[in-house]
Amino acid sequence: MVQPLSGQAIYVVLLRELKRYWRAKARIISSVAQSFFFLAIFGLGLGGFIGGVGKVSYLSYLAPGIICMGLLFGSVFSGVSVIFDRQFGFMKEMLVAPVSRTSIILGKILGGAVTASIQGIILMAVAGIMGAFTPTPALAFGALAAIGVMLLITTGFVGLGVAIGSTLNDFHAFQLLSTFVIWPLFMLSGAFFPIDAVPLPLQVAMLFDPMFYGVELLRWCLLGVGTPMLGPFGWLISLGVLTGFNALMIGIGTYLFSRAQV
Amino acid sequence: MSSAKTDTIEVSGLTKVFNGKVRAVDTISFIVKGGEILGFLGPNGAGKTTTLNMLSTLLKPTSGTATVNGHDIVEESDAVRRSIGYVFQDPTLDIELTGRENLDFHGRLYNLNRNLRKQRIKEMLEIVQLTDRADNLVKTYSGGMKRRLEIARGLLHHPKVLFLDEPTLGLDPQTRHSIWEHIQRLNQEKKITIILTTHYTEEADHLCDRILIIDFGKIVALDTPDKLKAQLEGDVVSLTFKAPEMIPKVHPLFEKKKWIRRVHLLSVDDNQATTNRMMNMMHGMAAGSGMTGGINHGSTGRSRMPKHLEKMQPHGSINQNSFSNQALGSKRLNLLVDDGGHRIPSIVKLVDEAGVALESVELHKPTLDDVFISVTGRNIRDQRGSFMEMVRRHRIMRQARGRQTHG
Ligand SMILES: Nc1ncnc2c1ncn2[C@@H]1O[C@H](COP(=O)(O)OP(=O)(O)OP(=O)(O)O)[C@@H](O)[C@H]1O
Ligand SMILES: [Mg+2]
Repeated sequence: MVQPLSGQAIYVVLLRELKRYWRAKARIISSVAQSFFFLAIFGLGLGGFIGGVGKVSYLSYLAPGIICMGLLFGSVFSGVSVIFDRQFGFMKEMLVAPVSRTSIILGKILGGAVTASIQGIILMAVAGIMGAFTPTPALAFGALAAIGVMLLITTGFVGLGVAIGSTLNDFHAFQLLSTFVIWPLFMLSGAFFPIDAVPLPLQVAMLFDPMFYGVELLRWCLLGVGTPMLGPFGWLISLGVLTGFNALMIGIGTYLFSRAQV
Repeated sequence: MSSAKTDTIEVSGLTKVFNGKVRAVDTISFIVKGGEILGFLGPNGAGKTTTLNMLSTLLKPTSGTATVNGHDIVEESDAVRRSIGYVFQDPTLDIELTGRENLDFHGRLYNLNRNLRKQRIKEMLEIVQLTDRADNLVKTYSGGMKRRLEIARGLLHHPKVLFLDEPTLGLDPQTRHSIWEHIQRLNQEKKITIILTTHYTEEADHLCDRILIIDFGKIVALDTPDKLKAQLEGDVVSLTFKAPEMIPKVHPLFEKKKWIRRVHLLSVDDNQATTNRMMNMMHGMAAGSGMTGGINHGSTGRSRMPKHLEKMQPHGSINQNSFSNQALGSKRLNLLVDDGGHRIPSIVKLVDEAGVALESVELHKPTLDDVFISVTGRNIRDQRGSFMEMVRRHRIMRQARGRQTHG
């Protein structure tokens, strides 16, 4: 059953996500603060101890990874919030309207990607103020590219969240989700340490983590360097992997969502 | 487009089986005419919401078919959705948005253009008297305000058919009456066809052109309120006793009399009693007697109850123990009597001779409550649903009541 997409429906669901995001100021502040603590304490603390990675300081090295942490948590939880929409009934209001479920879920994914990226932009600014990035004309361009990259990164992870949220039915699974999905994705993303420096099994695990490629891309944008292991076209490889991941996750998320009962 | 004559809803053999075993809706068939208000009356778990969910395309029927506004609910679900408005039983507002934003969201989903949206939102807010609160977040609304907003939302896109699932559950009488007025006005002015579910018999009686009584997923009666009541020939004599333990003594006496058509045992069946019973259950008190609701099943005599339903009754006879567990005070017997006014002296004499103390005697024409008892064998306010459903219902009612005091 192929149902037509409705731009109006996608837009209105997106609009709702934005409004809800903007109104939950406490949540924005607390997640920005959390990332800031990571950046400040690990960046300066571990940085004083390690010095730097390659040519960049540890704080600079860490900054794209911490931005990705914000993107990851923001996007997965925003996707998983389909559980709340079901629990609090609003899902029924959307499902009984004459619009396709695909439109609804695309709006949801887009909304999650935009809000998580806003979070990322705030973090990028915070890191910039902390002196994580060398101010050059190239950085202005890189920061713009980074915003595009953030949207790319978050789309797939909102899709993952939607897929999980459409399968799970209760809040208790939240703890499990955080422990077994989000944290491992983050810790294997290469945010803290370069892949070249770890044992082989860990390297393999990292290469299977889509967020690894997200961190890689952001480093290219903001620092102008990538992981030596991926070579000079590491950014292109990362772009390819993330695009593939997004396509897969949008597909799975949409499928599982349209199958779920109210 | 001659909506007045056509049948707006046609249901044929509609069935829903959950998990391969729960027959929530069991081969029901009926027709709703254009512009009609049809009431679904039934106890908890009867299958009212499930029926509406199928008609609104949210659930796929296990078998059977139905058309809404001429469109098949499975094959043409999009056209069906464009024709309907649905005010759900459970809250479905986004409480983090304002009232106006909730309506605007809805208008966009139904593809109303900007001007039309603005104009309709203004109009609907006035009808439900929420204009001055429209720009507050919904989480600051009272239960009654939320319900009115949901009704406004269901009507914003001018649906041909409106489904109202327990529109007044948990609302105070004043709010309930104002919602009744809206419903009637919409039905008359906009010629909207309405199905509403309720387990308030007075609501069904007041609002509906016809009433469909549904029980265990089956239709047990379908007619106008007047005709349904007229089926019960005679009068209802309601006896209240000083001590509930006395009832088993007099019960058999009545069954022997030819002029007493039917005898029904009732608990004190106001909402308060129901709420008390639910609270008791939730606190783990009176668990044995409350859950089954057994004491209320006193239907005996020449009842027309189908055989398969009789088996489902938890207690056929009166259980002495459950009386003493109930802290509800007096109990009532309802008698359906030919020419009740003249029989009252004989009835009082019978009770006197049995040495039982009466508290009061009351005579009334059969109401829908009596009709319900006579076709289902029990009181509509029996809570037959699962424990969780009761907890949920209790929560909704409490929320609605609690918030009303603030607004
Ligand atoms: N999604 C579901 N899965 C399994 N069983 C269900 C589901 N929805 C409803 N049921 C069962 O179907 C039966 C009918 O439920 P329904 O909600 O239609 O009753 P109702 O008449 O609306 O009751 P109420 O007055 O409590 O709202 C009940 O036994 C209920 O437990
Ligand atoms: Mg219901």
